Amino acid sequence: MYSANRRTLLRITGLVAFATALGAFASTADAQEKIRIGYAISKTGPYAGGAGITTLPNYELWVKDVNATGGIKLGDKKLPIEVVEYDDRSSSEEAVKAIERLANQDKVDFILSPWSTGLNLAVGPTLNRLGYPHLAVTSVTDKAPELAKRWSNATFWLGTSAQISEALADLLGKLKSDGKIGANVAMVSIADQFGIELSAAGREALKKHGFTLTYDKTYPMGAQDLQPLLKDAIASNPDAFIAFSYPPDTIALTEQAQLLKFNPKIFYVGVGTAFPLYKGKFAANSDGVMGIGGWNADSPQLKDYLARHKAATGKEPDRWASSITYASLQVLQQAIEKVGKVDRAAVAAEIRSGTFDTIIGKVKLKDGLLQEVWSVGQWQNGEFYALAPTSLPGARAPVVPKAQWQ
Amino acid sequence: MLLVDIVLPGLVLGGMYALIALGLTLQYGVARIMNLSYGESLVAAAFGAFSLYSGFGLSPLAALLFAVPVAMALNWLLYRFLLERLMRRGKDRGAQEIDSILVTFGVLFVIQGAMLVAFGGQYYSYSYLSIPVVVLGSTLAVNRLVALLFAALVGGAVYLALTRTRIGTAVRAIAVDANAARLVGIDVAALSGLAFAFGGGLVAVGGVLVSMFLTFNAAMGVVFTMKALVVVIMGGVGNVMGALVAGLLLGIVETAVARLVDPGLTLAATYTLFLGVLLIKPTGLFGRAAS
Amino acid sequence: MTAPVRTLLWCAGVALAAAIVAYPLYANGYYLALGISVLYFTILATAWAMFSGPTRYISLATVAFFGLGAYTAAVLGETMPWPVVLLAAAGVGALTAVITGLSTLRLSGIYFVIFSFGLAELIRQLVIWYEVNIHKSVGRYLFSAVTQDILYWQLLGLAALVFLVGWLLGRSRYGLALRAIGADETAASHSGIDATRVKLGVFVLSATFIAMTGAVMAPRWTYIDPAIAFNPTISFQVVIMALLGGAGSLFGPVLGVIPLVLLFEVLTATLPNHFSIVLGIVFVLIVMVLPNGVIGLFGAGRSRVPAERRAAASARTMDAPLLGVEGVSKSFSGLRAVDDVSFTVAPGEIIGIIGPNGSGKTTLLNTLSGALRPSSGTIRLGGTVLNGLRAHQIARLGLARTFQLVRVMPDMTVAENVAAARLFSTSGGSDATGSELLDLVGLGAMHEAPAGDLTYIDQKRLELARALALQPRLVLLDEWLAGLNPSELEAGIALIAKLRDRGLTIIMVEHVMDAIRALCGHCIVMNAGSVIARGAPDEVLTDPKVVAAYLGGEDA
Repeated sequence: MYSANRRTLLRITGLVAFATALGAFASTADAQEKIRIGYAISKTGPYAGGAGITTLPNYELWVKDVNATGGIKLGDKKLPIEVVEYDDRSSSEEAVKAIERLANQDKVDFILSPWSTGLNLAVGPTLNRLGYPHLAVTSVTDKAPELAKRWSNATFWLGTSAQISEALADLLGKLKSDGKIGANVAMVSIADQFGIELSAAGREALKKHGFTLTYDKTYPMGAQDLQPLLKDAIASNPDAFIAFSYPPDTIALTEQAQLLKFNPKIFYVGVGTAFPLYKGKFAANSDGVMGIGGWNADSPQLKDYLARHKAATGKEPDRWASSITYASLQVLQQAIEKVGKVDRAAVAAEIRSGTFDTIIGKVKLKDGLLQEVWSVGQWQNGEFYALAPTSLPGARAPVVPKAQWQ
Repeated sequence: MLLVDIVLPGLVLGGMYALIALGLTLQYGVARIMNLSYGESLVAAAFGAFSLYSGFGLSPLAALLFAVPVAMALNWLLYRFLLERLMRRGKDRGAQEIDSILVTFGVLFVIQGAMLVAFGGQYYSYSYLSIPVVVLGSTLAVNRLVALLFAALVGGAVYLALTRTRIGTAVRAIAVDANAARLVGIDVAALSGLAFAFGGGLVAVGGVLVSMFLTFNAAMGVVFTMKALVVVIMGGVGNVMGALVAGLLLGIVETAVARLVDPGLTLAATYTLFLGVLLIKPTGLFGRAAS
Repeated sequence: MTAPVRTLLWCAGVALAAAIVAYPLYANGYYLALGISVLYFTILATAWAMFSGPTRYISLATVAFFGLGAYTAAVLGETMPWPVVLLAAAGVGALTAVITGLSTLRLSGIYFVIFSFGLAELIRQLVIWYEVNIHKSVGRYLFSAVTQDILYWQLLGLAALVFLVGWLLGRSRYGLALRAIGADETAASHSGIDATRVKLGVFVLSATFIAMTGAVMAPRWTYIDPAIAFNPTISFQVVIMALLGGAGSLFGPVLGVIPLVLLFEVLTATLPNHFSIVLGIVFVLIVMVLPNGVIGLFGAGRSRVPAERRAAASARTMDAPLLGVEGVSKSFSGLRAVDDVSFTVAPGEIIGIIGPNGSGKTTLLNTLSGALRPSSGTIRLGGTVLNGLRAHQIARLGLARTFQLVRVMPDMTVAENVAAARLFSTSGGSDATGSELLDLVGLGAMHEAPAGDLTYIDQKRLELARALALQPRLVLLDEWLAGLNPSELEAGIALIAKLRDRGLTIIMVEHVMDAIRALCGHCIVMNAGSVIARGAPDEVLTDPKVVAAYLGGEDA
């Protein structure tokens, strides 16, 4: 009996502590003098690296920009943005919990998305149930069209894996028919959903264009030395080298390629090639390297964005998802202003149907997807220009073959 | 020569593994601190080297002269004011181990948090001695070669210090049985603190050197902690030679699997080797047989 | 405690239980999500502590089982009915635990810790490899209509089950056996506990719950890939929470889960950018201030063994020798520590084994008790051949022992130490309870004292009582009298004499010649692994060969 009672006592004590702690952070709802915008982003854990380059700086920059002009226009008055910010610690469960918290406790008006495909998919059902617009910018998945159908509040901005690989294959195919490169391609990819989807789509698309895959392997996440892989790829004597890799591996592959004096006509690596870090590290040697993303660097809006980004965060943006992230936020703002009130369902519908003016030009989503996304970029004279899809306005001509490493 | 092309890069990779594990051999094997914040210390040293290089143009090798004494001092303070109390409190090695796991888990967050505030979450990388050198027909990077060299030199020096000097013998006595060491007049607390601080110095060596060729960010510590633990355990706790051999072995096996079997299986091979060694020799390659 | 107070507490308990069950009906989405976090970690930490608490095997393989459960749900979730999916996840977890447990549980200490981590990583790498090369896709999508309410109730049900099983386990003999193994595995084996099987059983049980938790949680995340399912921080968090709360008791882990989940929440909310630093500092302070975990604040109750089982040292009279040792040898890589030793022991007899240090006496005892396997020769106990049997099997056949360096289970009470030795005893017809045994060895007043607090002589007494609790037919005493002062020695000799008078058969290895003279009718002298003399104590002690052996001369 004694022990049973003590257990009860323990439970009571625990619950009291639980309740007290919960009471400590109940929030107060304020009259609509501000627009409360919340997000949970990976400040710690394995996703912090990606979130810290692509997503977080743009959230901060956008809030700063909007508030500098007085805020978001609702009806006839401008409401400044107030931010509620959490760390999801790169965990799906924490991300879901943070969304619940932003919606139920902080009662924010809008929620910005987390970084990575996994976290965006984890919070997808919750945002859908709660009726918040979900701008899943940093998620690349072939399921995107299906997801956009399933979740009417969600939009996808980076294209599908197939789109990226096919644009690359189209570009290479054109170069081959122009006689600039031969038919041999070596491809390596990271053993993660991202790498697998891209390489699977790439394999098919390359075959369609008459390429031969002389080397085609995956490597595990966290591999510390990619030299063995690269040596076998070199031995297969390819015209083009393609790596669907994550940033640390992208850097390592480039470094090893230089050491091994590996000079294929096409050297395509990434994610990470579009990062300012890449240019910073390899300087002139980055010239001619291709990777995922790219932007139309001659556009005045982007030039202006680059300058503001540098001034506000102290560093340059990456040349793939950064500008799109920022553009998605502009879309959100314009959609809110068009609707004229905090009506999340209407805003979500407007995002899907409206046409918006952004730093990446006119944006009009189709079926919840941004259809036209730069897939292949190349460093040319210190800028990462977009090359493909060639159908998009502003596509640059590729420099092939890539200059020898210095 | 495929064989040379496997063995040499394998040794270089293994040298890096051994290098990042050396500090833990002392911290865990001798000072009995199961240091979960180990990898964070290593990354902190990498950030230190990066800052000195990008800020003052100081070469990472020169940065060692700063990083090592600073790391030793910090680790000594950590031991003296935090860990020593736990060591005194714990009734037996098991209790001490649990306490040190818990408290260094807290320290892990402190170091990681400080790095996040200072550097944010993004990746960092710079180039130093990223020069090819051809050895027996196999192309290697000088910076990675330097890491191997340091692993061998530092590992050898620590091994000799532990086996050939009076203090080293006393330190090994603590590793075997702290209570017995106390009975024969060894100042266990002071020497354990010294071993822990030295271990911290070696962590700094590892961090500074790997920063020359690895891309890192504030969140990557746990990767190094686990790799170091695997190497230390596989070699036999507290055995410096064991750590060296285990590190080199892992490097060669990973490279061989990548070249001969499938690069996708390198890490699976690492863990298979590790688990296999423990199944056959439950106390590691060079571990004393359990009584 | 008066009846009204008790009723009141019962009512409060029932009300609380009702409040917990009905929680989704009144909590908003966020509090519900928080409740889910608490429950999810409660199940993991409690299941983890079920095995790791008592055995002190710190497992970092939690996420291996969790991830397998999550993957099972992701693979089967959209094609099979949910209960089947849960059962399949439990099955996968249990099966993996059996395979891995069989290979890992012989490792100890830090080697086990890191091995378990390596195991989790290996399983993750193999899953990745399978997905990449066979399934051709690494991530899996699991669209399901599981609402937070349903998820909460599923977790609550699972949590209730974990607590129920944990409570039953703690009350069963396996619970005590597990703690005995954690305290001293060797002593536990020699007390008749099949350490491997007990550990494996509980390991599998724990893994099953963890795998089911993974399966229950998976649909919440829509998308499962190896990085999410096998995220090693889950293992670390579980360990930290359980250790912080106190892994040694059933309700300890939950006391670590609640404050830590809340601490993480409060800190991420108030200090999103400095959260890591503050969390770390708070954590260090907690560890420094609470040496025994949160449960230590409440004066941690250890689970006591409920019922006394009757046991005793039984006297048997038989004509045939009780123990027959024929030509037993034991070599260690060339060195023959025991060389062709033969002797017999009649029931009720005390045999002394003497000889200089290093002559092979303890090695001989170790081969008899199953700690070592003899290289050759035969050992029979009452007709049963002991060769090749393991320590716990030999103990259950009625051969008990004490150790040269005394081995008690320090964190367990005196009574529990004795009870541990009779958990799996098979012979009936006993005539002494545990407390009678403790009275017999002179520890009658110390039942509830932790064994680690006893004096040296009392620990020796306890070890003897534990040996007797096996209802042995034969007791091996390894220098049981060494290190005692003259008056303790006298009491010790009297105690052994008393056991002899009750008809117990004893083999004693001893250096105290007065004791040999006083107690043994017959003794064997060993030197360099061989028997060099045997006979009545007074005869052999004057044998020139024996004298020479003791003096260390080669020229005898």
